[in-house]
Amino acid sequence: MIRWLALLLAVLAAVSLFIGDATLALPDRLILWQLRLPRTLLGLLVGSGLGLSGAVLQGALRNPLADPGLLGITGTAGLGAVIAFYWGLAAAFPPALAAGGLLGAGVGAAFLLSFAGGAPSGPSLILAGVAVSAIAAALLALALTLAPNPFALAEITFWLMGGLADRPLWQVVLAAPTILLGVAILLSLGRGLDALSLGEDTARSLGVPVTRTLRLAAVGTAFAVGTGAAVAGSIGFIGLVVPHLLRPWFGERPGALLPAAPLAGAALLLAADMLVRLAPLVLPLSAAPPVGVLTALLGAPFLVAIARRGEP
Amino acid sequence: MNLAFLRAHAAERVVSLNLCTDQMLVLLAPEKIAALSPLARDPALSFVAPQAEHLPVVRASAEAVLRLHPDLILAAPYGAQTTLALLQQERVPLLRIALPQDFAGIRQMTRLLASALDVPQRGEALLAAMDAELAALPRPDHALHALVWEPRGLTAGPGTLMDAVLDAAGMSNASDGRNMSLEALLRHPPDLLVVPATPAYPSLATTLLDHPALAALRRLTIPPALTICAGPFSAQAAALLAR
Amino acid sequence: MTGVSHLSAVLGGRTVLHDVSLTVVPGELVALCGPNGAGKSTLLRALAGLLPDTGPPDPRHIAWLPQGARSAWGLTVEQVAALGRIPHRDNATAPVTKALRVCGIEALRTARVDRISGGEARRAMLARVFASEPEVLLLDEPTADLDPAASHAIMRLLRTTADAGRTVVVVLHALDLALRYARRVVVLADGRVTADLPADQALPAAAAAFGLPFGADPTPRLLPPC
Repeated sequence: MIRWLALLLAVLAAVSLFIGDATLALPDRLILWQLRLPRTLLGLLVGSGLGLSGAVLQGALRNPLADPGLLGITGTAGLGAVIAFYWGLAAAFPPALAAGGLLGAGVGAAFLLSFAGGAPSGPSLILAGVAVSAIAAALLALALTLAPNPFALAEITFWLMGGLADRPLWQVVLAAPTILLGVAILLSLGRGLDALSLGEDTARSLGVPVTRTLRLAAVGTAFAVGTGAAVAGSIGFIGLVVPHLLRPWFGERPGALLPAAPLAGAALLLAADMLVRLAPLVLPLSAAPPVGVLTALLGAPFLVAIARRGEP
Repeated sequence: MNLAFLRAHAAERVVSLNLCTDQMLVLLAPEKIAALSPLARDPALSFVAPQAEHLPVVRASAEAVLRLHPDLILAAPYGAQTTLALLQQERVPLLRIALPQDFAGIRQMTRLLASALDVPQRGEALLAAMDAELAALPRPDHALHALVWEPRGLTAGPGTLMDAVLDAAGMSNASDGRNMSLEALLRHPPDLLVVPATPAYPSLATTLLDHPALAALRRLTIPPALTICAGPFSAQAAALLAR
Repeated sequence: MTGVSHLSAVLGGRTVLHDVSLTVVPGELVALCGPNGAGKSTLLRALAGLLPDTGPPDPRHIAWLPQGARSAWGLTVEQVAALGRIPHRDNATAPVTKALRVCGIEALRTARVDRISGGEARRAMLARVFASEPEVLLLDEPTADLDPAASHAIMRLLRTTADAGRTVVVVLHALDLALRYARRVVVLADGRVTADLPADQALPAAAAAFGLPFGADPTPRLLPPC
């Protein structure tokens, strides 16, 4: 099954190179290298990070509604990136943007764990995440009104919705190592997440270091999602939806979902991005909307449907 | 608002509530200024920023404006609606000036304003200088295909002020008025890319201009002060381009 | 040999165990009995190494089953049992299959635990304990909410396991099961051990812990004594 998923992803990535702004054609070298390739690569990286972190967080928190956005980590990442950008740090030192996102995500993860107490449990982490999200959103609004740029608040809305368009290749390359590191950390947590299915005490009795597992889940998420959010904004719902799409095929064991989750996340994000690129062909739009709009439009009803079904 | 009425009651205390009318007022009748809008002092946006530094400014609130006892108010057709409605209730003469989209429109507007301010000779002097500048511009044999590209992919299509400026500079406009994404731009690259100067502060809107894909394109940066509003100084924009 | 020595435990400001000492040895089936709040579950957790002062757990040799054990996800019975291999870091299938058979749940191996009966799900949880091939089994109310047939089946299994040389400690509310299957009964009340006796002598002390008069049989006899 996972082989089919990998194949699907490869096909989507290849097709993505052919789809441009309301066109479906072989591009010239400049466009291919400078526009299509960065966009496709960014979609692969960000989608993998989001999908995998969603799978890990749902397993770690034993909650089918968990998602990196829910825990406030994409929110603090966005805050870090916005500060780095509007106060000129990114202009002086280009990697500062990605670093801002990573630092922001890291601070979010640290706050999360400190709010949740020394030995974080699932429910306390979720509550802490809601608090972190709220604080990040408030600080973001404050930062934008204080920014030297008087139009900051107005022009950020588009960016915050999350999109893959027109990011230069160097930004994507800069974000890649931390995202891959985060993915590696998260992939190592399968055994711990499986044990957590039976509860935290049982997991401990099985020899799983529960506190360390939860901390690594938070840290891994910060890496996997932080720099991606700095470059692409806050793309939501991928982390929420991916595990649910995979469970019918891979079963409900959390560890079983982990290898497939990055592939599915990347495929989902690329597919969504291709749809928005083609949208101006069928809808009266002057330009492709940011991909975050589509993931939100599809993800929100999905969230409602999951919540209605109730706890498993 | 009747021009005859305005000329008969020559205004001496004029308040301008809009950047474009600010600039015209400074050029035509600086001694009659009661106040300008605060944007007039912003060097990034205003052609008359140096002069405006020493001139009074007022925020567009009815109370603040009324305290100046103006006898004429200049404004754009849009914006500050509630303030202007209140001012009209107080029977202060109000002149709304529409933004010209070409040099003919600039001439018309300049003459109208000069007449309303009772300084027709100064208006003619400004226009004469503008026409001389326009006439002095070289007419190249082959027109450069130029595109005015603003943040978010906005372009200056036919019938806009920048279209007229391009034409005056002897260039052809590569835009048909629709938005152009980065990729669309690269698919049909113009000979010259005309972009607004980036502000001193970091701005998301202008980061796109730093994209490596645009490095190869010939580009000219133009100060927004010359393009936001239309006036006799628009000829300088054309001169910049022609160089 | 497993045990705790002079253990006191405080939970949420309340002293749950006062200076408790207990040692259990292989071949024993020990029942921990007593009223609610006596500290039985806490003592069992201490034996499992789950209390701050008694850690760390010894997952390869000691298996612990909490009260009301359930799975957060719709795992299959087989998947639940396979979790018992986690301490051994292997995917050995033989111990898992054997555990399923021993617990009488092999026929339902591919069924989801959230779609079978309570008794069957409990046996799946038990299979997880057996699948880790522990030396010591610590079980908290494994028969709660089960009908008499299922309860007795599980107790028979635990008795057989102890007879085969394992150490089995079971927290039980049901005195009849404790007195019938255990070799040794430890009675707890208010965080203290009030009695630690062979099962056939434990009834008076157990009754006293519950505040029942001696001689009053807490449940009617359904089966002849073993």
